[in-house]
Amino acid sequence: MRTHRGTLVAATLVVVLAGCAAPVTKVDSGEQTVGDRLQVSLEGPWNQVRAPALAPAQVWTMEGLPLDRLLVYSGIKNEQLIHAEGPASLKNFAFRSTMQPDEIVAMFEGMLTRDGSSFKLVKLGPASFGGAKGFRFEFALTRRVDNVQLSGVGYGTVSNGELFALLYQAPRLAFFPRHQPRVEQMARSARIKT
Amino acid sequence: MRRRDFLACACCASLAPGLAAAQPAWEIPARFARPDAGSDEGGLWSMMDREEVRLRKSPFSLRDPKLQAYVQDIACRLAGEHCPDVRVHLVRTPLFNASMAPNGMMQVWSGLMLRADNEAQLAAVLGHEIGHYLARHSVERLRDAKSRSAFGMFIGMFGAVGAVGQVGLYAGMFAYSREHESQADSIGVLLMRKAGYDAAEAAKVWENLQLEIKARPDGDASRSPFFATHPPAAERQQALAELARASPGGAANEAQWREGVKPFLRDWLHEEVKRGQHEESLALLGRMIARSPALADYRWARGEVYRLRAKDGDLDSAVADYLAAIADGGEPPDTHRGLGMIHRARNQAAEARASFQRYLEAAPDAADFTMIKSYLEELRT
Amino acid sequence: MRLIALPLSSVLAVLVFFAPGAWGQSKNLAPGFTSLPKGASVVIMPTDIELFSISGGGVPEPKADWTEAASKYFKAALLAKRESLGVSTVELADKDADELAEINLLQGAVARAIAMHHFKDQRGLDLSLPTKEGKLDWSLGETVQPIKKLTGADYALFSWVRDSYASAERQAAMVGIAILTLGRAVPLGGMQVGYASLVDLNTGRVVWFNRLLRGSGDLREADKAAETVNALLEEFPVAK
Repeated sequence: MRTHRGTLVAATLVVVLAGCAAPVTKVDSGEQTVGDRLQVSLEGPWNQVRAPALAPAQVWTMEGLPLDRLLVYSGIKNEQLIHAEGPASLKNFAFRSTMQPDEIVAMFEGMLTRDGSSFKLVKLGPASFGGAKGFRFEFALTRRVDNVQLSGVGYGTVSNGELFALLYQAPRLAFFPRHQPRVEQMARSARIKT
Repeated sequence: MRRRDFLACACCASLAPGLAAAQPAWEIPARFARPDAGSDEGGLWSMMDREEVRLRKSPFSLRDPKLQAYVQDIACRLAGEHCPDVRVHLVRTPLFNASMAPNGMMQVWSGLMLRADNEAQLAAVLGHEIGHYLARHSVERLRDAKSRSAFGMFIGMFGAVGAVGQVGLYAGMFAYSREHESQADSIGVLLMRKAGYDAAEAAKVWENLQLEIKARPDGDASRSPFFATHPPAAERQQALAELARASPGGAANEAQWREGVKPFLRDWLHEEVKRGQHEESLALLGRMIARSPALADYRWARGEVYRLRAKDGDLDSAVADYLAAIADGGEPPDTHRGLGMIHRARNQAAEARASFQRYLEAAPDAADFTMIKSYLEELRT
Repeated sequence: MRLIALPLSSVLAVLVFFAPGAWGQSKNLAPGFTSLPKGASVVIMPTDIELFSISGGGVPEPKADWTEAASKYFKAALLAKRESLGVSTVELADKDADELAEINLLQGAVARAIAMHHFKDQRGLDLSLPTKEGKLDWSLGETVQPIKKLTGADYALFSWVRDSYASAERQAAMVGIAILTLGRAVPLGGMQVGYASLVDLNTGRVVWFNRLLRGSGDLREADKAAETVNALLEEFPVAK
């Protein structure tokens, strides 16, 4: 239902960005720390959006939330939810320290499909992340609310029982190819501070 | 537009068997003309037309021509003279649901097709929806909904793909009344029999669905989009059974149905497992395995659910199901991956290696090929 | 605009009345783009319009006859503007529009991003993206090639409008609510929301964008529809 879907999306996103502090701030090039433990080296600035509804992830974007999103997770603890509390009817997804890469990916998949979107894993393989043994995955996501087809890439690792990860999603046409190289570079530069 | 009111009495559904037949026969109305653009129905109709265009273009639309033609044919035979007005759209959503908008747009969700054991069961649900359409219940609901807010959500229920979440949240507001439900049940059975289907299958559909709902930890029926709009009531099931007894005979066409959905079964099962509603899936798969004990795909799917739920004893149940799938033959490659994961978690290195090896051989194009290969290499050291 | 020597309060007052960027590059234009080249051809993508009537209980009810009329008037008004815009227009058949489904959906998302992050929302919330530096800087890149191929046009104009009108009962209810809340709560009696987006089909850049968000406007009659089109195409980069 177009009008409600469109305004619902807009309204939801605005609600997502509530807060007195500036909702959008600039993340400059160079060394940046996410949370207090994940260090990344940026080539070019990003926009950080205050989005309590997407906590505990930090949310970055280049083109705006209706288009692309980078979710950065730093030091997620055992049994911690990877998303904000929602209505009781929606299933919750919590990280467990014993999770294997495929389970962590399944957890993210669950979170991304809570709204009826559909997720397809394209690739999953071992990769170094944060200076530790981790994994990298690629996915396709069809967003239910507006039918836009997104491509995604994610990196993750479990260090001392805590999850460090980043997930980037953007429309598969034009936008994902445009920003993917910088996301890959950011992921390669990531270091976990102990 | 002519209207036919079926059985003015609201208590007809509970009449003893045989009496339903004795009532004045309900006439299937003539085909509906497009309503005047200025009328409220006209507005709804036009909106539905635009939703339908979006649905056709949506990535969630299941566009397999053969399957679409198959289901369209069933709907057509049920609709009789109204066949030209019924347009079936298959949608990729792992939930039990079908709906029919006043403009003739019919949606059938893949979750429903997964759960139907045979053509007759699908026909029961489609016939029920056509019943609502023929008796013009939706227009009545629209008029009722005008006085409520969230009208857009009402549209969302017929509307294409935004519906999933909305249906859950708002469907209760727009549930069909008991009178509408029993009327649609009666018409549905009538249409089934005219099309040559065994009406006894109608009650079975509801039974099966109830089984799943009851398996839910909270037993909350309203979370099913279909049940939220079609409130289940014990009397309805009884009434359906009585209606069926009053006109016995007809076919179920189980073999044709299985053949028709075979190419999609594995995908739909995968989607069902991914829902993460373990208790419901176990109830559903248990039922399916009881009907077809030798079908590897069902065993694999249940194995996956047990493995993911991972409660006490679940991993053992998972292993049993995986092994049964392998014994049945034609098992999905994921069966070996699932087994391998469990062996690996239990430090059963040799078994894990063997399973992962089989997986990689069976699925060289698997998305997680490199991941499993790395596990394999780890296990070799 | 000379502001020196003016007291601060009047500076602020002045700023309130001028849209940001009123001097210098307009907020509606991409950097470096001021007007369409003369004789440029613009394909008018089918407008997505929906008109609603809001009944007493606040329920928006789709009005097919209004929507059909509005689509007609909107299209006619757009075409009529071509003279004053100095462009030639290409029409796109609905059938062709099917092929472009994914691009259209993408364009919708881009438009929502611009509406959200380039303009203030109705509550005055500023969600501008620092990396965009206040510029209209969005592009669909090469993905628009199929549109160019299909139509041969240089630019594409996309538009989307949702419009609702308070029925008499609704208007009465609104007055009632205003009285009850002593004028503090002003329920929306009817809202016109929309956008128009001009995309360069060679580069995929959004070169001009206008967002409409107001409580007035009427698409139900030809002359009033023309006014809405004018509002939507306000500051359209007329060919020079």
